[in-house]
Amino acid sequence: MNTPSPLDGFGLGLRRDHYDEFLACGVAVDFVEVISENYMVDGGNPLRVLEAVRRDIPVMLHGVSMSLGSADGLDFDYLARLKKLADRIEPQWVSDHICWTRTSAHNSHDLLPLPYTRESLENFVDNVERAQDFLQRELVLENPSSYMLFPGDEMTEREFIAEIVDRSGAWLLLDLNNVIVSAHNHGFSANDYVRGLPLERVRQVHLAGHTDGEIKIDTHDAPVDEATWRLYSSVAPMLSDVAVMIERDDRIPSLSELLDELALARDLAPVIEHRRSA
Amino acid sequence: MTSPSMLAAQQSAFIELLLDDEQPMPADWDKLRFDVYRNAYRARIVDAIRDTYPRTERWVGEDAFRRAAIHHAIRRPPNSWTLDAVGEGFSEVLSELFSNDPEVAELAWLEWAMHTAFVSADAEPLDSASFASGTAGFVENDWASMTLRFLPGTQLQSVEHDIATLWQSLAARDHDAASTSPERWTPATRSCVVWRHGLKPVFMLVDADEGRMLEHMLEGSSYGDACAAFADTVGSDAAVRQAGAMLANWIHQGMILTVSPLEAS
Repeated sequence: MNTPSPLDGFGLGLRRDHYDEFLACGVAVDFVEVISENYMVDGGNPLRVLEAVRRDIPVMLHGVSMSLGSADGLDFDYLARLKKLADRIEPQWVSDHICWTRTSAHNSHDLLPLPYTRESLENFVDNVERAQDFLQRELVLENPSSYMLFPGDEMTEREFIAEIVDRSGAWLLLDLNNVIVSAHNHGFSANDYVRGLPLERVRQVHLAGHTDGEIKIDTHDAPVDEATWRLYSSVAPMLSDVAVMIERDDRIPSLSELLDELALARDLAPVIEHRRSA
Repeated sequence: MTSPSMLAAQQSAFIELLLDDEQPMPADWDKLRFDVYRNAYRARIVDAIRDTYPRTERWVGEDAFRRAAIHHAIRRPPNSWTLDAVGEGFSEVLSELFSNDPEVAELAWLEWAMHTAFVSADAEPLDSASFASGTAGFVENDWASMTLRFLPGTQLQSVEHDIATLWQSLAARDHDAASTSPERWTPATRSCVVWRHGLKPVFMLVDADEGRMLEHMLEGSSYGDACAAFADTVGSDAAVRQAGAMLANWIHQGMILTVSPLEAS
């Protein structure tokens, strides 16, 4: 079983808009993260770009379709494609979300909320263990942003996540924007939530923007907002061996604008930056 | 505590509610919050189809395209792990919705073929020199039994309209849909073939004879059988001469992966 090697550093999501810049010259990042599904293809330019970038810097494969929370179980055709990509790219690690996306009949292509019940937990842990066995990798799992809870929940989201990590051996991708979004939508303390997680299991941090409103929406189409930066500043000193990145999936700005945001992430986490440079 | 079947039932109900406004929502679910997921689902599916079919959207206009995309999503709810597959079969839906404007479905077919060719398996086409040296020792029977393998992602479709000109005119984002009307050939007298040249998907229109030859060879017919069928239309001598020119052009265009029995040798 492959355990994710820790990586202290700062990175970006590799997006199509910036392919040429990544290919033309060394972009000042320690790693890139890609959406796995965009590269789980037979061939062509996306794979060529990814392989070229991978020759220079570590790559994280970040998926959105593993659907670890599905009561209908795992899609092993999907996992076989993912394994083939991972064998080819040799990523730093493979991550996905604490959510579900599909039934055996339909795929929502969205990160849907789980009920926080014992039954849902058992199902999730079972799926994580099967996926890890198949991929021969310990997974890194991202905390969700969510807009609704289910009546009958038997534990909090934080408790749900902590038990998954404890029982499956998976690691955590701490998305601080998701914490801010869910804390607002469900009325809990973002700080208490983060401090209650097993922070020693965090391998990666996502920083992203969202859309404000009565219900905050996790849109990844805006700069990181003030509340997320504040949470990051307070949490960063508690993390070690952690890869921090700016995540932008829509209204993608210039690379220089994203690098400016990443510079702020470095400035706000001198502990991580110091370890990275050491 | 919920049972496994209750979790499955809850997820099944959630998906059904995403897909269908008319489904009754459990009384203790918050509709306002659920609608965030429903709206996101619809926007994501429409955006994925829009990303795959930008020229078709420019041709029919944003509103008509959006209605067609929603209709497609209802008719064929996504079941693949990849969002890229959401647009599969859209040209068939468009052929029904735009039955008086058949160029719409032809244009959509071309966009889908280019979309899939873009990420088809990498392969090195057979070049003219390799073909010439490899077939130098062919006897007549070798030519008759010869079959071709085309590059992965190669697709063929008969068309009634000059979608090549339409494709070029729709390249600009500020295209004025009313300014161009594609020439129509009646009945279908062209075929469109799509393949990948290096990293770039490309296409060309060929006449009806070449379209039929391509169709035979793509289906795995032997060169001899394809020529025999062609000869029924143009006569034996012309069939052999013209088929040779077609084959040379396919190799020149980089569409052919291997030739058998050359492949076996």
